[in-house]
Amino acid sequence: MGNQPSQFTEEELRDYEDLTYFTRKEILLAHEKFKAISPEKVNHNKNAKLSMSKMMSTPELSSNPFADRICQVFSSAGDNTGDCTFEDYLDMMSVFSDQAPKSVKAEHAFRIFDFDGDDMLSKNDLKQVIQRLIGFNNQFSDLDMEQLIQNILEEADLDDDGSLSFAEFEHVIDKSSDFTNSFRIRL
Amino acid sequence: MSGGKEKKSSRSSKAQGWEEAGSEFYQESYPGDQMDNIHRDPSKLATLLPSKQRVATNRRGRQAQEFKTTRRRNSTLTATRTFRRGSHYQEIQVATLPDLSENLINESQTWEEIREIKAMPVHMAQKRELKNQLQNATKLRLQGFEQIKWKRRKAWQKIMTKWSEYLTKMELWRSSLKTIEGNFGTGVVAYFVFLRWLMVLNLLIFTIIFMFIILPQLVLIEPKDLPCDPNAPPVFDEKRSTANESIWIYANTSVQCCRETYLNEIKHNRSEFSILHLFQGTGFMEKTFLFYGMYTHQIYGYDPLANQQQQSYGSNSYNEGTSFMSNRNLDNFIVDENNSTNNNSTPFMNALLNFSDNNNITTTDLTNFTTWREFFSKLDIYYDLPLAYIIVTIVCYLYILVSIVKAVAHEFKDRLVEGEGQFYQYCNLIFCGWDFSLHNQKSAQIKHKALFNEIQGLMHIKRYEFERNNRTRDIMFKLILIRVLINILVFIILIVCAAVIFILFNISLSVIEPNFETVTRYRSFNVFMGQIKKFSSGTSELDQQFKILFYEFLPYLCIVIFNLLVPILFNYLIQFEQYSPLFVIKMNLFRTIGLRLSSLAVLISRFYYLISAKNENSNTECFNESYGTPMCWETFIGQQFYKLFIIDFATHILVTFFVNFPRAMIARHMNNAFARFIEMDFELSKHVLDVVYSQTICWLGTFYAPFLPAIAAVLIFFMFYIKKFACLVNSKPSTILYRASRSNSLFMIILLLSFSISIIPVVYAIAEIMPSRSCGPFRGLNSVWERAINAFEKLPKLLQDIIFFFGTSSFAIPCFIVLILFLYYYYSVSAANKHMVQVLKNQLVLEGHDKQFLLNRLSLFIKQQQEYQKRIQRQFYDQASTTTNSQQSQGINMDTIPPPLLPRAPRSETGSNDRSERSSIEIKHHSRMSKDIGDI
Repeated sequence: MGNQPSQFTEEELRDYEDLTYFTRKEILLAHEKFKAISPEKVNHNKNAKLSMSKMMSTPELSSNPFADRICQVFSSAGDNTGDCTFEDYLDMMSVFSDQAPKSVKAEHAFRIFDFDGDDMLSKNDLKQVIQRLIGFNNQFSDLDMEQLIQNILEEADLDDDGSLSFAEFEHVIDKSSDFTNSFRIRL
Repeated sequence: MSGGKEKKSSRSSKAQGWEEAGSEFYQESYPGDQMDNIHRDPSKLATLLPSKQRVATNRRGRQAQEFKTTRRRNSTLTATRTFRRGSHYQEIQVATLPDLSENLINESQTWEEIREIKAMPVHMAQKRELKNQLQNATKLRLQGFEQIKWKRRKAWQKIMTKWSEYLTKMELWRSSLKTIEGNFGTGVVAYFVFLRWLMVLNLLIFTIIFMFIILPQLVLIEPKDLPCDPNAPPVFDEKRSTANESIWIYANTSVQCCRETYLNEIKHNRSEFSILHLFQGTGFMEKTFLFYGMYTHQIYGYDPLANQQQQSYGSNSYNEGTSFMSNRNLDNFIVDENNSTNNNSTPFMNALLNFSDNNNITTTDLTNFTTWREFFSKLDIYYDLPLAYIIVTIVCYLYILVSIVKAVAHEFKDRLVEGEGQFYQYCNLIFCGWDFSLHNQKSAQIKHKALFNEIQGLMHIKRYEFERNNRTRDIMFKLILIRVLINILVFIILIVCAAVIFILFNISLSVIEPNFETVTRYRSFNVFMGQIKKFSSGTSELDQQFKILFYEFLPYLCIVIFNLLVPILFNYLIQFEQYSPLFVIKMNLFRTIGLRLSSLAVLISRFYYLISAKNENSNTECFNESYGTPMCWETFIGQQFYKLFIIDFATHILVTFFVNFPRAMIARHMNNAFARFIEMDFELSKHVLDVVYSQTICWLGTFYAPFLPAIAAVLIFFMFYIKKFACLVNSKPSTILYRASRSNSLFMIILLLSFSISIIPVVYAIAEIMPSRSCGPFRGLNSVWERAINAFEKLPKLLQDIIFFFGTSSFAIPCFIVLILFLYYYYSVSAANKHMVQVLKNQLVLEGHDKQFLLNRLSLFIKQQQEYQKRIQRQFYDQASTTTNSQQSQGINMDTIPPPLLPRAPRSETGSNDRSERSSIEIKHHSRMSKDIGDI
């Protein structure tokens, strides 16, 4: 990035600095990375929209079982395709950075885990989360899965309504010291 | 004013969010489709509840993309919020409070809010819009002091960002850490961060030592010591003499003479350069400041020679370092008078700046000084190196202790928060289980598997417990027998290891130190030794040297080999004991620590045996030659730890590159059972132990080899790369799930344990063992600590009294009681808090039930309402059809049907002004509901 002039104006950089958890250097680094995904497209338009499959080919997301959900959550396209612009990518990396506070991370984690988008983690959501966690090569029997979900709900579902609201989710996350460590992608 | 307000707003409190959401709940109008859903599925109604609403509002907006929304974190932040739910339904303007005129905000608040935007879960475009909005909004300019305060905060913020940017740029091994994290997850990366932490700690320690011990020694010019005078009469030693026994120090064992002998010894015997010396710490290495022996016992800027003539002079009192010497000085008054007049008196400035020393000693009157030079040269500026040596040692160990304890406490706090945590083990596993940083397909597979196993283990733990409780008596008996046997076996192995090290150390000593064999206790042993000696007296010079080298390193090689091999044996043995997997790791760790510490203990006990020997004729000899005590035992010990440290590091290199690397290569290119057998996991606990062990050696040796922390820092630097290689190339990710928090606390606890154990011998040596006569800053004293006591006695009386008071029981007992009271107080506070948590939790559950109950009632009520309405409508239709039949001209429209009466709910017309807000909201709510119902 050193010798070639930046694709951003001063104004934009300042905005990004104000609106993410990154410093200027990191923003430029993020853009380098974004460019590496699809150089010709991004060179043409710095804020080009890249398809979800392209996004998922990055090393950071390629082996992540929640990659598609991450793209969808951070995508501003709105049509659930998960296509991301650079700004979306920046948002994503900002949330996953070390500097982002736990509450912000928790909020996004909740949305990633909320597959049907009804603002509650229902049994169905939990089932999908677990399945993705253990990989598709491993299977729990239906009984075990049922039991596991029951256990989770027993722990976290304080109001007994059979699904987790954000408040309940955040409560659990608050007590976990591992969350900030694991919900992190180094730029 | 704004300070408090800002704080309030910056906290952006959840409570506010809730309230806000609550008001939204009432203010929002319900579109028909939602009510429709609710009729079909009453549980959907739950999403309308305030608790669900807080996030819901944001998120729902997000899915319907054509909206413009902000999440209002503060009540002062005003923004219009529009929701559009699908195109078929009418747009509904959500009433918010966009009243700019009422709460005008000032610049500082705006700034604060702009900084809060980044925490909002909306897209960049919206964030930017929001920022612009905030920037363009009318705002109050801050005045006077407020302005300054805000400016200062802004500047501070800027500096902090710059600083953090700088730090990230400086951050060592950033990309390495990322690679490791990508392949092995956060648990393993915590180990590498720990390595880095240790390196920085060592560097800091070395900086302290360098600044206060090594640098003065290098820069300042050491004052000339008294010459060795073998013919001087013996001196009475006040300190060591008791009532029935008087000890005289003969001139040839005076500190000066011993020193001379020692220097001669080094010069003659060990002066030629050899690469071997570099590893042994002997020869030319011994003469460097690497080891304790070369540090001076003089006080800089204070000349003992000059002192002879100035018994009455002020600075005299600082002569405690050479306490008995001053006694001698009386006798030696005439010695070297010429010298003393030339090289006279004082100051450290003199030495440092090479001032010509033309000051006259007899003038003690400060007013007589004509130049500042003279003034300075008359000031009693001195640097007391021995005292500094003690103080720096204490400071360093305290610093280490504090930094470890701080880290441990931090981890401990995390664990405590989590600790309640037994409740949340499933949630932790599911929601925090995945390492988002992993970016390697293969590791991801392994992670999947590990998570699967962990979850399954957790699920079946009840089954295991059941099994364990239902073991038959026979099996139980057998198992206990096996465990006892294996524990005995482990104990025997430890003893054997210790014995082997003991014997090898003796052998090695007898080869190196020619005096050692005269120890009569080992007569039979000596015969054996004699044979070895014959064997070892090789032909050529080089051969001889290598043999000596071999013997010198023999015990350490043995220790290192044991450290490598015995844990494997332990690993094998523990299979038979049938512990739970987690306990197996702990047990193995425990035993390995036992092994390593026992070998160190043997080593130290051997050292102690060598140096602590009571010297019957201590008056005539500088050191106990007949016993094999080294001339300068401190340097000797420093050398031993140096050797051990080096060889430990060398084995890491050897094992990693020449044993494990081929192993990994073979395993990678073969694909059978054998390959699987020799393939290695990255066993975290083992690697942690390696590092902690070398750190322990460093701590043990620091007092005797001040450069050891620097060496440790450098070697840990290389160790990082070795371990990185071991991790990335040699091993595959472990199937055991390492969590960052768990492994972090593991490192720190092991480190704390080994620190507290390693400090015991050091403290003992400082307090009890007599320093050698011929070298080091404490020569001629009975113990190192004596130097500190002497310095203490020089303090003003008041200060002494105060410090003494701290030591008395009249201080200690009240202090103790107060501490206990505090302890009890905090204990009861925590107990109360725990109780409170329980109560609140119960309350939460109860509320949940209440809510559930109310929801059911509400949905029931809505259903009834619907039916009621249908009935009314049907009746009305019936009526209408009858009336239209009769009076066709009236033409009553559907729209004019009055809303149905709500049972018990007050009609909006009846709502008078004096009603509370709450009820008016209720009215609104109900009337809206009825309207909705009416729409259906």
